[in-house]
Amino acid sequence: MNNTNYYINGLGIVSPQRTFDNNRFLQEIVSYHANVLSAIAPDFKEYINPIQLRRLSRMLRIGLTAAIICIRDSGIAKPDGIITGTGYGFLNDTAKFVSEMLAQEEQHVTPTFFMQGTYNALSGLVALTLKCNGYNNTYVNKGFSFETSLHDAMMQLNEGNLKNFLVGAYDEADEVQYKVNSRINHYKKHHINSLELFEHNTDGSLQGETAAFFSISKEKGQECWCIVKGVRMVFRPYSLAELEQELDDFLLKNKTATGDIDLLINGVSGDPHNDHFLIELKQKFFQQASEVRFKHLCGEFCTASSFGLWLGASILKKQQIPSAVQFNLVSSPRPIKNALLVNQYMGRNYSFILLNKNV
Amino acid sequence: MSRRIFITGYGIITSIGNNADENYQSLINRKCGFGGLEILDTIHKQDLPACEIKLSDDQLCEIAGVSLKQGYTRTTLLGIIAAKEAMRMASLTPAEIRTAGLLSATTTGGIRELERHYYPLQDPFQHGDFEVFTDTANPGEHSERMAEEFGMKRYIATVSTACSSSANTIMLGARLIRNGELETAICGGTEALSKFTINGFNSLMILDKEHCRPFDISRKGLNLGEGGAYLVLQSEDMVQRSGKTPLAELTGYGNTNDAFHQTASSPDGAGAFLAMNMALNTASLVASEISYINTHGTATENNDLSEGLAIQKLFGDRVPPFSSTKPYTGHTLAAAGSIEAVFSILAIRHAVIFPNINFNIPMDELSITPEKELIEGRPLKNVLSNSFGFGGNVSSLLFSAV
Repeated sequence: MNNTNYYINGLGIVSPQRTFDNNRFLQEIVSYHANVLSAIAPDFKEYINPIQLRRLSRMLRIGLTAAIICIRDSGIAKPDGIITGTGYGFLNDTAKFVSEMLAQEEQHVTPTFFMQGTYNALSGLVALTLKCNGYNNTYVNKGFSFETSLHDAMMQLNEGNLKNFLVGAYDEADEVQYKVNSRINHYKKHHINSLELFEHNTDGSLQGETAAFFSISKEKGQECWCIVKGVRMVFRPYSLAELEQELDDFLLKNKTATGDIDLLINGVSGDPHNDHFLIELKQKFFQQASEVRFKHLCGEFCTASSFGLWLGASILKKQQIPSAVQFNLVSSPRPIKNALLVNQYMGRNYSFILLNKNV
Repeated sequence: MSRRIFITGYGIITSIGNNADENYQSLINRKCGFGGLEILDTIHKQDLPACEIKLSDDQLCEIAGVSLKQGYTRTTLLGIIAAKEAMRMASLTPAEIRTAGLLSATTTGGIRELERHYYPLQDPFQHGDFEVFTDTANPGEHSERMAEEFGMKRYIATVSTACSSSANTIMLGARLIRNGELETAICGGTEALSKFTINGFNSLMILDKEHCRPFDISRKGLNLGEGGAYLVLQSEDMVQRSGKTPLAELTGYGNTNDAFHQTASSPDGAGAFLAMNMALNTASLVASEISYINTHGTATENNDLSEGLAIQKLFGDRVPPFSSTKPYTGHTLAAAGSIEAVFSILAIRHAVIFPNINFNIPMDELSITPEKELIEGRPLKNVLSNSFGFGGNVSSLLFSAV
């Protein structure tokens, strides 16, 4: 699988920023003040027919819209397969079902939220909408959900004659997860301005949500955004040294040196307890790279690396770093050719995604 | 890409047995796990019987060899028990385990614990024993917990494609090995019964209060079940190097989407046909080389019709013997694919075809009928195992004798 180019030929993303229009790039920034960042969706009617729209839950609407934006962007109406990743799926709908079931003591429970709550509901819905009979899978592995989906698509492209895969990620900022995970200090105790996430040296992060889809192929499309070179997941590294070793091995396999990295997309979450490995990696190996961060714009969730991939793809294509994501810029700007996305979720799921500028 | 994939171990726990031997004895003696619920606390204990494992969570902890009250969900415990048996059977060395991938499936994860402690978990002022289940409703939690228990970290993935989930982990394991990412993969799924699934399927009106009757004209729905099952998949190189005798070979797999309806299969089984056909193609086999099909056969009106028509379309007038083992174990959702993968391998190893319990009168729409009686002494070369789910997800696996 090494040294293959996987082209991102289209994308669509609905996030807490106005990202659904691919012609705009973080020109206006929305801040949040209650530790929860909510997706800003376009008019769904432009993407989903009214009969279908009525039947769909909020997250299915957002997810399907992101998929349709991606399909329109790539110009590929029917991909060969659809792979999605999510951490908590439709927990909001599942919780509605559980609440009703408990309140009514298991009598006369309605099926809607049960049906819409299965983790593969979105990949199934996208397949149904696009009439896509091809490969279809859904990964639900916390902070690896999106990475596994991307990796699966890359393997599929390597295996046979299939040319185009739609890879998606989605997670919803839902109340049950917020309340339950507040027990383990996953979210900040005091409300902060989301844009100041990295200025507070306190435990926890902000809750976010996003649905993002990417059209990926070994053949370069006309609207190609960037090239994915590789993805690597590291589960619970015992030490920084272990994470460094994985990074070395990953870059070596992709014939890239740390000095070749022009842009580091850093998935720190604003929780110093979990961020220190990624901050140390930056200081140790990527002094010469410009650093951008993104979780102050989208919040933290299992598939936040999908927002990071969108950001990297956009910077590589537009050769422009919006001020809202700039963290440490190198003084003499050079063309941004190689970008590395590093991410962590709960200090347990670490990942690297290597991107190249399309040439 | 053409590297061969061998099965060197398997493990299983269901309502018909705590390990592979017990499951096999039940299968050949027509012993089913269907009955009233005793362990799960629900008002439907008697009116919605299911295939429940009659062991408390504490008893499961003992079998799994883990400490009590440490926040292991029932789903995780079933997974640990089955995966440990699989690794023992494969005689995996500590080094092999450390470098293996863990690919596990579930549809509910720790929903059973979430529904039990739903309000206390969301109230920050309440404290107590329930706190060990903080954040265990997440489906990825069970595989991370299992991986930590086994000391595995090379590649951990969790699949959730409804009732085809664990078939997809087996397919993923094979593909990771063929792509050179892994030499050994522990693949399977685990699912505990919950009020959530019982009330969910009940609200969809596809639960049968009586013992389910796959492919019978009188079928009225499925029975739920719980269980876990895992296979150890190893590359040809690894098997040769370690001098192991493989138990079976995974020769084919197919995953497609029916793209017909959110929760129903297409009437003609378009997706099922494509998945079975793809499994044959990856194995470079033709339909006439299939010796037995372990069907999805949930006993819902919709599934059995759709699956039956897809089988007729693919095999024409030469349909191999087929049966559904769902009356034994119930529908174990995400675990069904790997449980039936183990049954398929047991069928190959013991040269038997398991009976389709409760079949009496054929369906009007089908010209084929499942095997009613146990067939022994029938060498099986290639066995197809089907798993279909909500969201149009359909997968088919092909196991072959070695």
